[in-house]
Amino acid sequence: MKRWLDGIRLFNYVARQTVIAAVRGRRPRGELLRQMDQLGNRSVLFIAVTLGFISMVLVFQTCLQINHITGDLSQVGAEFAKILVHEFGPTLTAMMLATRVGAGIAAEVGSMVVTEQVDALQMCGVDPIEYLISPRFLASLLMTAVLTVLGITVALGMGALIAYLSFHVNPRIFFDLSRIQPGDLATGMAKVVAYGAAIPIVSGFCGLTTHGGSEGVGGATTRAVIASSFAVIALDLFLSCTGLLLFQGGL
Amino acid sequence: MLALSRVRKLFRGAPVLDGIELTIRRGETWGLCGPGASGKSVLLKVMCGLLRSDGGNVRIAGVPIEQADEPTLMGLRARFGMLFQNNALFDFMTVGDNVAFPLTRRGGVDPEEIRSRVADRLRAVGLAGSENRFPSELSGGMRKRVGIARAVIARPDILIYDEPTAGLDPVTTSKIYDLLLREREETGATVVVVSSDLPPLLRFAPRIAMIYRGQLHYDGPSSEAADAPDPIVRQFLRGEVEGPL
Repeated sequence: MKRWLDGIRLFNYVARQTVIAAVRGRRPRGELLRQMDQLGNRSVLFIAVTLGFISMVLVFQTCLQINHITGDLSQVGAEFAKILVHEFGPTLTAMMLATRVGAGIAAEVGSMVVTEQVDALQMCGVDPIEYLISPRFLASLLMTAVLTVLGITVALGMGALIAYLSFHVNPRIFFDLSRIQPGDLATGMAKVVAYGAAIPIVSGFCGLTTHGGSEGVGGATTRAVIASSFAVIALDLFLSCTGLLLFQGGL
Repeated sequence: MLALSRVRKLFRGAPVLDGIELTIRRGETWGLCGPGASGKSVLLKVMCGLLRSDGGNVRIAGVPIEQADEPTLMGLRARFGMLFQNNALFDFMTVGDNVAFPLTRRGGVDPEEIRSRVADRLRAVGLAGSENRFPSELSGGMRKRVGIARAVIARPDILIYDEPTAGLDPVTTSKIYDLLLREREETGATVVVVSSDLPPLLRFAPRIAMIYRGQLHYDGPSSEAADAPDPIVRQFLRGEVEGPL
């Protein structure tokens, strides 16, 4: 029980210090750009392919079911765009980032802990949270937003392609954005910010609390992926409920 | 300079340090030895505020650190230079950036002076011109020497060397201790050395201590350590097979 409480206290400290350091703006020169490249540019293909394939499956299955019932596929694109903006776009992108970026942050920070590099930073008067976690936090905030926009674009495009090829849905009908309300955009943006903040903080915490040698780094990486994914799901539930209450007339 | 009184440190309820009493004066050289997993590295980390003790008092230059906040601790840690057991060189930085790091982070030093001090320190450790190499391109002994250069570059009041010759051959070990001797004479700093390599440690440190199961069993002149009344100390320092260890 005491270990759990200590863990929660330490997590709060890491989260608070990360945000304070990000606001204060003391970062190693060029580190933000380097992290944006690591977290963002190197995830482009991964996110594009994953969201493209998932959207193709979703659109195909939806068209198939509707075809059996009413045969009217004119609203598939409009509803798909709406759900992409407030739900699938941010959440699927964040789930993918939680695995790729979360594992990377935990492994990098964890291996620095076990090789005493984090102790060496502290002995040089450097706060490891400010030096290691804060640039990743800012990079993740920015790049989660960019990758979500990219993911939604690719998902819409691939969805339109499969709808046209399999069910002859005209792309002009499919690309109907009229169902997207300001509330959908607000919910989607809130999710992007929350996920972008949660993934580096949770993974950084897992990395900083690494114990032992390479086995410890492996454990921290696994913990980071599980905890970041869980954080995304929990935040998704919370923000979806909040969005529904605020923008769509309550449950 | 460093004072520890009744210091205790627990890991998962088990004592790793148990009632450590110790005072190290300014300019003194103090050696610490002991069997593996006896608490040597933990004691070093408690001494410099990297780990907080679970009982007792630790004072660095007269300042108690138990209740100190992080900025105060950071200020106190800046008085230390430390060579870590595994060197702890930043693998994403060049040798030059590693050595310069304590100065660049502290600020207030002209970049030109930093470059000249890095070159000077690397020359002193026999690695002149290695500024642009990465730690992964160096041998174990070379990495150790880079670690020493980084520890001393900011001219700290207290130098801590954790296992400075672990895993090195006898010739490199002698070279490293020569280097530590030169650095000590040049800086006049208080020096704390932890080593399992006893003969060079006994030659280097006029005062040594032996730790076993978290307790100091000896703390006195290194010349008299092998004849200490405690049989554990005698056995360890003489390297005897028979005995209480």
